[in-house]
Amino acid sequence: MAGSWSKVFRLASRDYVHEWLMSGCFVLALAAVLGPMMVLFGLKFGIVGAMVDELIENPLNREIRPVGSGYYDHAWLESVRARPDVAFLVPRTRSIAATIELSSQHSSRIVTVELMASDHGDPLLPQDSPLPEGTTRVVLSRSAADKLDVAPGDILDGSLARRFRGQQERVHLPLSVAAIAPAQAFTRDGAFVSLTLLEALEDFRDGRAVPPLGWEGEPADANRTYPGFRLYARTIYDVEGLRDAFARLNVDVHTRSAEIELVQRMNRNLTAIYWAIAIVGLVGFSLSLGASLWANIDRKRKELSVLRLVGFRTADIVWFPMVQALFTAVLGWALAVAIYLATALVINDMLAAQLETGQQVCRLLPWHYAIALLLTCTAAVLAAGLAGLRSARVEPSEGLRDL
Amino acid sequence: MSKVISTAQTSEQPLIYHLRDVVKTREAEGVAFRLRIPSLQIAMGEKIALIGESGCGKSTLLDMLAFILQPSAVGAFRFRPERNGEPLDIQDYWKNGRLNELGDLRKRHIGYVMQTGGLLPYLTVRDNMNLCRSVLGLRPDGMVEHVAEELGITAHLGKLPDALSTGERQRVAIGRAVAHRPSIVIADEPTASLDPYAAEKVMSMFIGLAEEFNITVILASHAWRNIKQLGLRRLTHRTTCDADNKLTETMVSG
Repeated sequence: MAGSWSKVFRLASRDYVHEWLMSGCFVLALAAVLGPMMVLFGLKFGIVGAMVDELIENPLNREIRPVGSGYYDHAWLESVRARPDVAFLVPRTRSIAATIELSSQHSSRIVTVELMASDHGDPLLPQDSPLPEGTTRVVLSRSAADKLDVAPGDILDGSLARRFRGQQERVHLPLSVAAIAPAQAFTRDGAFVSLTLLEALEDFRDGRAVPPLGWEGEPADANRTYPGFRLYARTIYDVEGLRDAFARLNVDVHTRSAEIELVQRMNRNLTAIYWAIAIVGLVGFSLSLGASLWANIDRKRKELSVLRLVGFRTADIVWFPMVQALFTAVLGWALAVAIYLATALVINDMLAAQLETGQQVCRLLPWHYAIALLLTCTAAVLAAGLAGLRSARVEPSEGLRDL
Repeated sequence: MSKVISTAQTSEQPLIYHLRDVVKTREAEGVAFRLRIPSLQIAMGEKIALIGESGCGKSTLLDMLAFILQPSAVGAFRFRPERNGEPLDIQDYWKNGRLNELGDLRKRHIGYVMQTGGLLPYLTVRDNMNLCRSVLGLRPDGMVEHVAEELGITAHLGKLPDALSTGERQRVAIGRAVAHRPSIVIADEPTASLDPYAAEKVMSMFIGLAEEFNITVILASHAWRNIKQLGLRRLTHRTTCDADNKLTETMVSG
């Protein structure tokens, strides 16, 4: 049996090559339908993909900020941090107390920077970036670093003042630049610092003592509360749930869920439009493929009858057009991929100026190509199989005499 | 003495075909055609000629003998391709839809020469002649080359059928039908498309090959005078039309 299958395979391939002109037409007809469909899907996938990537990758979209200030203690903050949908949480001190004046040896300017509490896993800092630490190491924003003309490793002078027991008092502390944050992490003059440093600065301004730094004042309050926190959800899809959870706790928060929902709705709408076009295209594609294969088998009825006459079995006769249909499917798919790749190259090139590096308007993943191949082969084998079965059922004498 | 024995042997040759009351009816646009075979017996090694105008049912009979057309009614249809084998009931195969087994019988025992050659355009002459042999899985043994030489087409073995004349294509078709040494070769007007001179030449090559390999021949032709010198047994047939030309009936026996 296997012998006769391979014989039919050889015969079918020789016929296919012999009729290269006709075979070429079938391949072209297939690619002419499949190629544009792949471009369409590539565009849909590329555009929506880029929007979703931007949405997912930009941590600002996962940020949840409390509105106004509250009194959040350690225990409450710990319970929020423990939630599985929370990726990062660090308490912050009063924003009015969270500034410091910085100066460096390289620049004559004194820059007042905003301070942000940071910690391990801060989504705004690159994962491998050195972190702010204790009361000595800080991460500067790009803009502040430029104004102070400093690089990682440089030493800054930080200073702040308070009115204490009726007297103006100013302290200085040396700070080393651990790293410079990416430009988009914080656009104003600012620095990421440890909570320890923020608490020390707030205590100093409130007239409390900070023994590690040798600053005098009232003893510190043991039950410290924080007016706010920096919180990032694990994914953009957790934002809405967290917002609702905070609402139940009577904490008003600000999120970007409106923007997230807009992109998600666009994604849904674009997907729906795509599927409407794709289904129409797929039906047309199947019909065109089926019609050309069906016509081909009708054309070959006499030759199939000859094979029948010399003793090939029904299954072999059906296998013959199926082999040829598979050739058409694979070659047509390959040509469609070539059409797609060329078109995608042009489209991406044309729009390159408006895109971030690495972003593509038109793109497909390897498994998309595989699915296209699988669909094409299945449709081809199905159409050829049905048509072949029909021609194999005809009494062989009819096929011989008709033509 | 030897002549007597040989005659006796001939008359005792087993029957390769034995048909009784086989009928095929076809109807198209109100006109019916019926082929009736009250009795037909063909012995192994016989050479049979079926002579008649086109449309009288020659092809219908040949197709039934080649198991590619199902009879409408059958008294008996026995086929005994091998001298030592049992006769097979062909009607039984048709009734039970064992078309693939009929295909196997045809593949092993029957060679078929079509009116228009029926060569596969994508195979060379050699591969066309080798088609039946390759389906049977026969190893190359010089048979194709020998037959090609007998038919005078050795020079064309590497060409595609398109490059050949009609007469050469018919010779290739004959070569394909005998190259696997079947028990029977059925030929449907194999020389109808040739001029009389070429027809005679091709026909005598064909009969020569059949005699060399001791193949039973069943041949349809519309002209008896072209083949009467080849020593074939002629089947008698009679065609009648009914009064209003609604039914044409042909009766063949022999």
